[in-house]
Amino acid sequence: MLLTMGLLAVLYLGFLAVLLTMHVSQMGIILFMGAFMFLQYFFSDKMILSSMGAKIVTESEMPELYQIVSRLCANADLPMPKIAVVKTSMPNAFATGRNQKNAVVAVTTGIMERLNKSELEAVLAHELTHVKNRDMMVMTIATFLSSMAQILVQWLPFMGGGSRDRDSGSNFIVLFLVSLVVWIVSFILIRTLSRYREFAADRGAAIMTGQPSNLVSALKKISGFRVPTEDLRRVEGPVSALFITPAISGSSFMRLFSTHPTLEDRIAALQKIEMELEA
Amino acid sequence: MGFLDSILGKTKLPEAKTEKLFAISTAAVTLDASLGYSADGKAGVCIKPMESSRYEAARAEIEDLLKLSIKETGTEYKIEKDEYNYVWVVLSDPDFEDLVTNIQMVSQVLMEQGFGTQLLAAVYRFRGEEVIYWIYNFKLGSYYPFVPANGRQRDTSREFRLKAIMEKEMPIEKDESRWYPMWGMPL
Repeated sequence: MLLTMGLLAVLYLGFLAVLLTMHVSQMGIILFMGAFMFLQYFFSDKMILSSMGAKIVTESEMPELYQIVSRLCANADLPMPKIAVVKTSMPNAFATGRNQKNAVVAVTTGIMERLNKSELEAVLAHELTHVKNRDMMVMTIATFLSSMAQILVQWLPFMGGGSRDRDSGSNFIVLFLVSLVVWIVSFILIRTLSRYREFAADRGAAIMTGQPSNLVSALKKISGFRVPTEDLRRVEGPVSALFITPAISGSSFMRLFSTHPTLEDRIAALQKIEMELEA
Repeated sequence: MGFLDSILGKTKLPEAKTEKLFAISTAAVTLDASLGYSADGKAGVCIKPMESSRYEAARAEIEDLLKLSIKETGTEYKIEKDEYNYVWVVLSDPDFEDLVTNIQMVSQVLMEQGFGTQLLAAVYRFRGEEVIYWIYNFKLGSYYPFVPANGRQRDTSREFRLKAIMEKEMPIEKDESRWYPMWGMPL
């Protein structure tokens, strides 16, 4: 994780250096940075909550959720976040908020129906770890210059035509290419970082709940995998061939671009933690 | 936990602080004398269980030690899980000092075995006009009052009064947002 963060920092510093030596005005960059950061940092939590249709609930509406979360917080010495519920059958949960004090942890009604109390606790502990690790801030900072490079890539072709002299013309091409490279490389690095943060949150959940297996079974349930309830003798026979679970793993190339590690990788990591707890 | 640890995504549960657990012992005298709440012969330790055979061993040792201790003090005990899968060691003894000693023993054994991180709370029950609880949060190392009223309501004004009067006698958590209720306690 440290390496990924370091690489991103180096990449961004290089990008900033290029921007500053080019004809892009420094004031413009600073203003753009400030405004963008401010907006993302202060309003994205509200935007996420409203776009997901999440409603903040009180303790008397959801006493069980509050009891699960407050005990986890008490045991880990974390401030209590706000709790929100999204009315949808999709099983999901997320955390948002710019810092620990303004954090919101949200779950869907679908996940509450599907998981038992221990599994729900594991999922909430995963989200609480995101809050504790300040993932919102880390990812905002990590994606900020990447978004800027993306904007430059998309707009430079239209702005380049404006100037007639050759020097600034070639400058624009260099700037375009640099932005393109920064965009692509940072995209991959950000996704890598995001997967590390997910592993870290899984680990945090395992430690906070003391039971990695609860998160394993929650992840399996959410992803649609179920431990069969059918008696083996009924499944046995020629029909059993139909029950083979499809392989979930994607190709390693696609893995490079996903925000979450694969289910198998997460479960393997959790089983390793289980061994550590035993040792 | 440090800022750097959190940025790098490391999670460690804080260690339990037991130094001020004993404070209830002297506070009980004041509670009785000036507020009319007497010890109700019940106390408990709430533990977050762990999937580990070492934890199971620690739990077995606690049970062995409790059996020994009971012979001396005549304390009764039971170990049970609540609806949130937390483990409770519930002690009953009309002698308050014996309760305090045994609660201290349970937390001490867990810490010696390296499971101080799994200690959530110690709870003492008192009775006056109504039942009140003093909850010791091991991670904060301080007490706070919990007065359940009808349904899932709490009598916060009485809790604040208890805090105001007892503040000098025992370490009470100043941050009231950490006064988490504990519903469905087995004591």
